[in-house]
Amino acid sequence: MDVMIIFQIVVAAILGAGLYTIIGIAPGTDETAVLAPVTIALALLGISPYVILAFFMSAIVAKKLTDSIPVAIAGIPGGVMAAPMVEHAMVLKSYGMPDVSIRKMSSGSVIGTLVSIPLSFLIANAILPFADKISSYSGLIFFLGTVFLALLSKNKILSLVIIVPFALLIQGLRHLYWGLEIIPSDSTVFVSFFLGITIGPIAFSLFELLNKDHRRKLPRLGNKEIHVNYSKKVKELPNPFKVLTKKESGTAALGSALGSITFFLTPVGMTVFLGEFLTRHIKDPVQRASRAISTMDALTNASYISGTLIPLIAIGLPLSPMAIGPAAGLFNAPPIFTPEHNIHHILSMGEIMLVSIIGATIALLITFYVTIKYATQICSFVFKYIPHEALIGLFAGLVVMLAFMDAGWINIFGVILVALVSGLLHRYGVNYGVMFMILYAAPWLLGLFS
Amino acid sequence: MEEEKKNLVDIWEDHVDIKDLSIAMGLCILFALGGYLIAPGNGPQSLIFGILGGVLGFIISSIMIKPKRTIIETWEDE
Repeated sequence: MDVMIIFQIVVAAILGAGLYTIIGIAPGTDETAVLAPVTIALALLGISPYVILAFFMSAIVAKKLTDSIPVAIAGIPGGVMAAPMVEHAMVLKSYGMPDVSIRKMSSGSVIGTLVSIPLSFLIANAILPFADKISSYSGLIFFLGTVFLALLSKNKILSLVIIVPFALLIQGLRHLYWGLEIIPSDSTVFVSFFLGITIGPIAFSLFELLNKDHRRKLPRLGNKEIHVNYSKKVKELPNPFKVLTKKESGTAALGSALGSITFFLTPVGMTVFLGEFLTRHIKDPVQRASRAISTMDALTNASYISGTLIPLIAIGLPLSPMAIGPAAGLFNAPPIFTPEHNIHHILSMGEIMLVSIIGATIALLITFYVTIKYATQICSFVFKYIPHEALIGLFAGLVVMLAFMDAGWINIFGVILVALVSGLLHRYGVNYGVMFMILYAAPWLLGLFS
Repeated sequence: MEEEKKNLVDIWEDHVDIKDLSIAMGLCILFALGGYLIAPGNGPQSLIFGILGGVLGFIISSIMIKPKRTIIETWEDE
């Protein structure tokens, strides 16, 4: 790595932190939907893998620091991962302490990041000797991963039953495109199907709106009321380790360590489970809530970072819910990155480590400062000026464009089909992760029938 | 406060007006796909133009459409 690359890495990290500080606050933004397309686009633009990794690490740290802010201020999660924290943040808000919430959560995030980066490298090193074995059985492992995630889904039986049919949908479309000679037989459609699954639930709700009967039945709502609480200005920047009590730091660090070790499990599930489990014994509601939110924030951060870094360093295949979802672009963005040639293969372990640390540190410095000082101001700006309609529109626009890029006009309809099916499955309790895993496992799985 | 019209629906954890939503989606899809198609040259250029188009659509719809949120601000004195 030369000076020029390091300079680019730093710039990318600053841009990533800035952009995702704002996106993190916007309510309802799903991590996969906002992170994966941008990472994939950067890869396809031919930007240096060092820069992409730094951008991504900075973006997840910034997004995780900020998506809990609207929870503290308005009780609205800024992302899927912040949802489990709503209940506890509301306790602190009802005691008039939203600023305490923000400081505790942000400090939790800092601890989560600091614990999980070194731990991820240790765990990755432990897995490394088995990496070749693991990657030579990737098809089988993706399939086992699918079954594993299916058993963790809300609707286990449907998740299991749907594995082969959903694989048929994916491979069926691919073979149709090959048969019609829309794409050459040595290339494959991945990105747009992936995004189709991501936007599935929202696409399904949108298509439902086309049904008059359904529209009539929907509850009609007025404006969404959001209470924003301005607290007194923070003059000095607090030390993240002094914001938390010793016990809170301890539980947050323990939660982060457990979250890193269980990198192959779903982060939301682990956050709810461990967050509640580690704080259940505390009686005082305020103490319990502040312990819970600092621990949960640390844990989500840690499981995100470890879920990305461990498979990236050790195996090069996306073998965690995080890696097949938000971080997918680092593993697979054909033709630039493929499972056989991606950031794992291009960068050495030391380089991955260095770039990740630079990215995460810059994000922590910028975002921690900004959130503590201007949390309420940014929140009210986003709530006042960014309409939800425009955000949904932007996602729709990007997905349609990427669908066209992958395989022409017909694929726009192909992606609609994938989105509708996955939206329906998601509504009936099939985990996102199951569908993402099927997307990877499909060629191997259906190859068994030939 | 004037009588509030109740014609919004909940999509993705926030309230939207169906008509505004169609406008925003139409604009963003049009600009993103349009940008991709009119870009000079192949490869990365098309993608850059497409993304810029999408962002342009987002900015235009943000200006045209008012967020459906009522913000109640309170200040803490102490």
